[in-house]
Amino acid sequence: MGLQLTVARGISALSTWGLKNVFKRPAANFPGKIALYVDPRLIADLSHKLDRGSVVVCGTNGKTTVTNLLADALETAGMRVICNRTGANLDSGVATALLHGDQSDWAVFESDELWLAKVLPQLKSDYLVLLNLFRDQLDRVGEIDRIQESIAGALAASPNTVIVYNADDPLCEAIVRKAKNKAIAFGVAEDMGLAQNTVADAQMCQMCSTMLEYAYRQYGQLGEYRCPQCGFARPVLDHAARNVRFGRDGIVFSAGTDDRTSIDVRTSATGAYMVYNLLATFTAANLLGCPPDAFQRALDAFDPQNGRLENLEAAGRPILLNLAKNPTGFNQNLKIIAQDAGPRAVAFFVNDKEGDGRDVSWIWDIDFEELAEADDLVVFVGGIRRNDLQVRLKYAGIAAELIDGPADMLEKTAGLSPDYRFYLIANYTALPVVRGELVRLIAQDGGSDGKGA
Amino acid sequence: MESLRIAHLFPDLLNLYGDGGNVKCLAKRIEWRGMPVEIVSVNHGETIDLSAVDIVFLGGGPDREQRLASEQLLRMRDDLSAYVEADGVLLAICGGYQILGSEWLLGDESVEGLGIVDMVTKRADGSRDRLIDNVVLRSPIAERPVVGYENHAGRTFLGQGLTPLGAVVSSGGHGNNDTDKSDGVLYRNVVGTYLHGPLLGKNPEIADHLIARALEVRAARMGIEAEPLRPLDDAVEIAANDYMVKRLGVR
Repeated sequence: MGLQLTVARGISALSTWGLKNVFKRPAANFPGKIALYVDPRLIADLSHKLDRGSVVVCGTNGKTTVTNLLADALETAGMRVICNRTGANLDSGVATALLHGDQSDWAVFESDELWLAKVLPQLKSDYLVLLNLFRDQLDRVGEIDRIQESIAGALAASPNTVIVYNADDPLCEAIVRKAKNKAIAFGVAEDMGLAQNTVADAQMCQMCSTMLEYAYRQYGQLGEYRCPQCGFARPVLDHAARNVRFGRDGIVFSAGTDDRTSIDVRTSATGAYMVYNLLATFTAANLLGCPPDAFQRALDAFDPQNGRLENLEAAGRPILLNLAKNPTGFNQNLKIIAQDAGPRAVAFFVNDKEGDGRDVSWIWDIDFEELAEADDLVVFVGGIRRNDLQVRLKYAGIAAELIDGPADMLEKTAGLSPDYRFYLIANYTALPVVRGELVRLIAQDGGSDGKGA
Repeated sequence: MESLRIAHLFPDLLNLYGDGGNVKCLAKRIEWRGMPVEIVSVNHGETIDLSAVDIVFLGGGPDREQRLASEQLLRMRDDLSAYVEADGVLLAICGGYQILGSEWLLGDESVEGLGIVDMVTKRADGSRDRLIDNVVLRSPIAERPVVGYENHAGRTFLGQGLTPLGAVVSSGGHGNNDTDKSDGVLYRNVVGTYLHGPLLGKNPEIADHLIARALEVRAARMGIEAEPLRPLDDAVEIAANDYMVKRLGVR
């Protein structure tokens, strides 16, 4: 062990102890951050803790869910796993998880898209799972081309990493064509028949600037695309989802390399994007030697309690809490709300902190109009930019009321009949605040959080 | 009354930063006053007869998409120029604003623009960053401060005698370039600006300015006097405007 690494570990251990015992704060980032100052190659130096190797999960939407579920699946299959479960996805979060973790079989890390260029070259992971690229926080990360270049650069610096990617996304396919790494394509092999939204990213061929043509489109720019000019097209899928059925009690689809070897995957979760998240996780788990039944058991028990599609109950109200941080994510949530035919109370929370993106103009790219005709729907808006949400909703034909938070919402809805279902949708930095307040309310009620439905 | 027609130019290519919301704002504010309105989306490869249009909206897009849209816009140059010179109403944002000048940027490359407004957009001197921030303006076409969000690499310089949309009064934010402390342009019935938000959501006075000009142009064509616009309840919009004005420390 080098001197730098020894000193780095010592300092991080001290700061972890300090954060937990003196400041009573979780230590998800800081110990790794200061240790990285001492030993910039800390991530590489600590990878000896991994007996078999590592996987990095990257993409705009779904990172935390896929990372947590993949770690759960591997553990269910009896493997030892290090994982940055809380979504601390910069190099400091990865370093902290490695510092705190014991000797393990695998590491499963989510990485921020632009930080991948720092993480992957050090970790030299066996696999990179690339989920999708949607417009998100444009003022921070710049246009999508820049993210693609950065990811391609990270792959070039780690040539033995196999990229497992969503081939239904032309923006991911374009990265794979640029990189020289071995690639495994996954996608949905059939039209899921979803209603389309108005603003989609990247309809243009990135090879020759012709408009792409779609045999079918699932949502956003995902689908079976083809460029009529240069032939850029979705490749043959190595792993595919087929026979996707959306029911009242969840989603079922078969996943695998072909019809004969496909296995049914079942979830009580809802939303078309979960098909992609589960397919990505199933494919990665499969590649790491996790048997399908262990994957399904992990999925059945999956309850990360992190506000992603989390069922809660507060003040006697059933609440679905979910994260949405860009138009694609919000539109997916609106579809979940719209498919519930009963009476609904809905609240949207949008902050504009650094982690959210300072510009909130993207809320105008969300198709809130879809809710305008709904019966028995009351809508509230919260978060730092609640006034902006209220304006946006007004122009969608929805009168929304300002709230301070979930407690205020529950008070304002106290007179509504008990059959109202509550949907609370919050963006990145708003989510932990909303969840924290709900958890406190539940504790006051004397109930227990989680596992409502 | 015949519908007011809003032409949204190339929404499939120029759809960054929620700017399409401006079209929603215009349409709703026309509708709320009991007037019929029609939105014509002119997609890639389609054409439009501007003589039958009351308001044109032109947004910005990512580099690649903007390049493709600019080819089509350059082919429409004479029509667009005639439309503007006949006092046609045009709202142009960011890339859509830049292309109105005689010279603008595609990526890092300096290229010829439509030459409809006497202005040029150039690269920043040296290695200056993109201009990204919340901005508040004082504008001659609005009583309230104008709020928005800028995010652009190009620096725009107006020709002699042209009026900007407004003076930058927030401590943060730049507008057209690093030195002028003003943003956008007012030329005939053209409003050009770097401000996203979208612009019209929190600045309903500018939306009404555009609608009023469109109604005047139409009335003049028929040789009659335009009716003044009926005021709307803008409490929600004003609260959102106020919040940003206060937060940015503008009195």
